[in-house]
Formats: sequence, C-alpha cells, structure tokens
Amino acid sequence: MRQTYGKLLPGMKLSDLAGKLIVIEGTDGAGRTTQINMLKPWLEQLGHAVLDTGMTRSPLAGDGIRRAKEGNNLGRVTQSLFYATDFIDRLENEIAPALRAGFVVLTDRYIFSLMARAHVRGVDPGWIKAIYSVALQPDAVFYLRVGIEELIPRVVFSRGFDYWESGMDLFPRLDMYESYCNYQKALLAEFDRLSEQYKFDTIDASAEPRTVFSLLQERILKVLDPNHHRPPEPVNNMDQEKWPSAGSHGEESASATESYVAKLVFRPFVASLRHAKGSNGNGNGHSWVHGER
Amino acid sequence: MDLSSNIRIGPFEIFLPTQPLPPEPQRGPSHDYPGRLFIVEGIDGSGKSTQLSLLHKWLESRGYGVVFSEWNSSPLVKDTTKLGKKKKMLTPATFSLIHSTDFADRTEKSILPLLKAGAVVLCDRYVYTAFARDVARGMDRQWVRHLYEFAVKPTVAFYFRVPLETAIGRITAARDCLKYYEAGMDLGLSDDPIQSFRIFQGRILDEYERMVDEFGLTVIDATLPVEEQQVLVRQIAQSNLQNATELRIKP
Repeated sequence: MRQTYGKLLPGMKLSDLAGKLIVIEGTDGAGRTTQINMLKPWLEQLGHAVLDTGMTRSPLAGDGIRRAKEGNNLGRVTQSLFYATDFIDRLENEIAPALRAGFVVLTDRYIFSLMARAHVRGVDPGWIKAIYSVALQPDAVFYLRVGIEELIPRVVFSRGFDYWESGMDLFPRLDMYESYCNYQKALLAEFDRLSEQYKFDTIDASAEPRTVFSLLQERILKVLDPNHHRPPEPVNNMDQEKWPSAGSHGEESASATESYVAKLVFRPFVASLRHAKGSNGNGNGHSWVHGER
Repeated sequence: MDLSSNIRIGPFEIFLPTQPLPPEPQRGPSHDYPGRLFIVEGIDGSGKSTQLSLLHKWLESRGYGVVFSEWNSSPLVKDTTKLGKKKKMLTPATFSLIHSTDFADRTEKSILPLLKAGAVVLCDRYVYTAFARDVARGMDRQWVRHLYEFAVKPTVAFYFRVPLETAIGRITAARDCLKYYEAGMDLGLSDDPIQSFRIFQGRILDEYERMVDEFGLTVIDATLPVEEQQVLVRQIAQSNLQNATELRIKP
C-alpha cells in the first residue's frame, strides 16, 4: 500500500491509490519539462492515462504565487508556505484522485525542490520536512542532474537571468550572474544531499535530451511493470519521426503528437476529476500543460 | 557563508550570522525583542476585538508606538484566501496552509521587525486561532503546531472565555447569515448553518480550553461587562510595559 512520509491528511485514503506516481526532479534548466513533454505522449501511446502536474499549477495558489513573486518581496517562510499550499492543493485535488483512477502521474518537481529551495534560504530543514510529512511517497524519483558549468549556458543563453532563479532574494549585493552561480551551486549541493537521503534515481542530464529520454523510458517501464513484461503495442501506428525531436522543447510539438485516443478520452476525464469534486471552476485543459512561470 | 547549514533554530535569522541568534520562538518563556506583543483570542462573539480596540486607544494615549495586525490581512496572500473561500476550494489542509502563509507574511514583514524596532504590536487572533480551527477541522494537532513554529511568542495572550450559547446568541443577533467556512459548513456537520456553527464552535472552544495550560493563555471572563474586562486587560498590559519604548512626540 502507498505510504506518506509520516502523517496522513484528513480524508486521504491510502488503500486505493493504485496508479503510479513518478517524480522528475532537478534544478532549473535540467530539462525536466522537455522530458515530460516527451514522456507523456509516449506513455499514452502505451495505453496509460497520464496526468502531468508541476509547481504553481494549482487553481488555488498558482496565480497568487506568481503575483507575489512579481513584487520581489516574498519572504522565505511565506514563500515556503505559499508553495506548500500550492502543492497540497494539487496533491489532494489532482494527484490523489488521478492515482485513485489508476493514472500514471508525472510530476515536474515534487517536495524535494521545495525542500531544497527552503534549505538554501536558511529555513529549518526539520520544519519543512514535518510540513511535507503528509506527502505521498512516489514510486520513483528521477533526478536529472546537470553540473553548474553546463547549466549556465543552457539557462542564461536561452532565456536570460530571472530574479528568483538567480536567488536574488538571497544575494541582493551580488550581480545576477554571481548570484545565479552561488544560488544554483547551493541548490545542487542540496539536491545531492536529498538524493542520498531519499534514494533518488540519478540520471546524468548533461547528455542529449534523446539519450536522457531513452534512459527514462527504460526505467519507467520497470516502475510500471516490475516483471519486465513488454507492455502492449500502441493501438495506432504513430510514426516515430513525428515524436518531438531531441531539439524541440516546445509544448506545441508535444501536444501535436498526442494520440487521438488520449485527447478524446483521457484529457476530458482528467478534467472531470476536478469537476466531480465540485471544488472549482477551472475545467479548461490548459492548467494541465503550463509549466511554472 | 555556509549555505548547507543544518543549524536547527527555526526559520529566522540563520542567514545573518553576525547577529546573535534569536531565542526559539515557541519554546522560550517569551520573546527577547524590545517591543511588546499583545494578542487576543476567543471564539466568534467573545468580544475580543472590542477589548483590543479599547486597549489600542489607551496605549496610544499613553504615548506608545502601537501597530495593529489583523488575522488574514496580508496584501500578498489575502486574495488567494478569498478565492479559495468564495469558490469553496479549501480543504482542511489548504485552509490551514493558506492561513499560515498569510500569518508568515505578516510575521516576516511587520510583526517581527516591529518588535525589534520596539513597537507595541497588537494582533486580533494569533496562532491559537489556527490551532483551534484547524484541529476542529480534523488536522493533526502536532502538525499544525509545528507549522507555526516560526511565530513569535506573545508577551501576553489574552483568551476571552465565553460560554458557547452566549457567543452564538451575540453572533446570530448581529448577522443576517453565517459564512460557509465560518460556520464549518465544509465539514458536513449539519445542513443548517446555525446548527453547524454550534457544533463547529463547540469543537473550537474545546481546543481553546485545552490550550490555556499548554500555552499559558491569560483567561479573561468575557461574560463580565465590557468596562470591567477592559480594566483587567489594561492592568495586565501595564504590568508588561516596564521599560517599553515610548514615542518622543506624544499624540
């Protein structure tokens, strides 16, 4: 039976969470989103219903966090708790219901990124750990690891420096480049430490995206089918070449190759999970695909 | 600077190694800052806000720098709380977390720096409100206490004790209708808001009573006339104001 990290939320029944919870972790620029955009259509081809989720995508707190970050005056305790609110909203209203319905849940970051960010900001690790003691233990955590030297050109040459990604709230006296290096190095050290503690499956993400993807496919198959049986062939013969190539990072190319079946059956069903809870009006499929902004 | 520091001293101050470390907030007898922190607690209809506003006016007239902070008022967070309540999206866990986020923002931006600056800080509701409500909603008692470990321990925490029926009488007389979460309607205790409110407030009252000894709350009999309660409140506040900073220019 699925376990939490120690405490149980009211109303969370662990016995019927039959799906698989697969976590993709890593620092900014490690290629998590690119990989998830390839993994999702691939898993759907194999006949799995897939939910993908990630930080700040909750209908409750996502917009609030984005607004708070615009002002650049979000304190570290407030920040940690705002992200916890976002996480628990998705855990209760998206992740748990999807697992209950037998979905494969692909999550772009999990409690570990949140712990790492809090730790480097000097927040008591025991405090943050106790808050996330209510989180569900995943079936696998794939840690996409990229060294700092590799990370800098990837992030900086593609989209420039971002205040929060550079940890400017921590090093206001440094320029953005120096702050970025210090912050990302500290994060990497935290991730390495967490990796030991929580037994991450580490993947060298400095390799080509296609190579990383193959490694992930192999390991995810083992998670989904521990007996190593070949899963059934996809129902429609999708051309391999139509898959997002190693160089394409866009969401458009990923969604364009999603199978007809996935679009018609799985997507509306996922959306209906929330409607069934009657909890909010965010039924448009968009919230499922947007990354953290 | 050692970024991978593992010092366990609560979330504050670890990044300012040149300054002395603050006391552990919840466990010490009280905070060590030059300011004073007076907070009021009690179930809805206990009259605590009235008492705090009278204390506020008195402190100002005495020349103290007084700042008031209300539950659920962080400009950064309150829109999210409002959205969650309006759309009934909040579960006991997210209800608890969003309120702690609001409280954290007020602690980081106003309560803590103001206490360091020597202000008299007044709070209408404090962590004990969260402890009472969240546990009444089914959250784990220890988990919620842990969540608020970053809070500064008040100089005095006034608890306005009132029998359930008195409070319900005051609230229902003053309002046309009860709000969804205020009445605990999210818990499905009863379809009737008044009945649900009664059960929910009863649970909250039980939690408050349990906290009187646990946190050393100062109990005020809220069935006494307003004036008599205020005399007590001012006496207790007075005895905790020795050497407190006064404004040079009195209002």
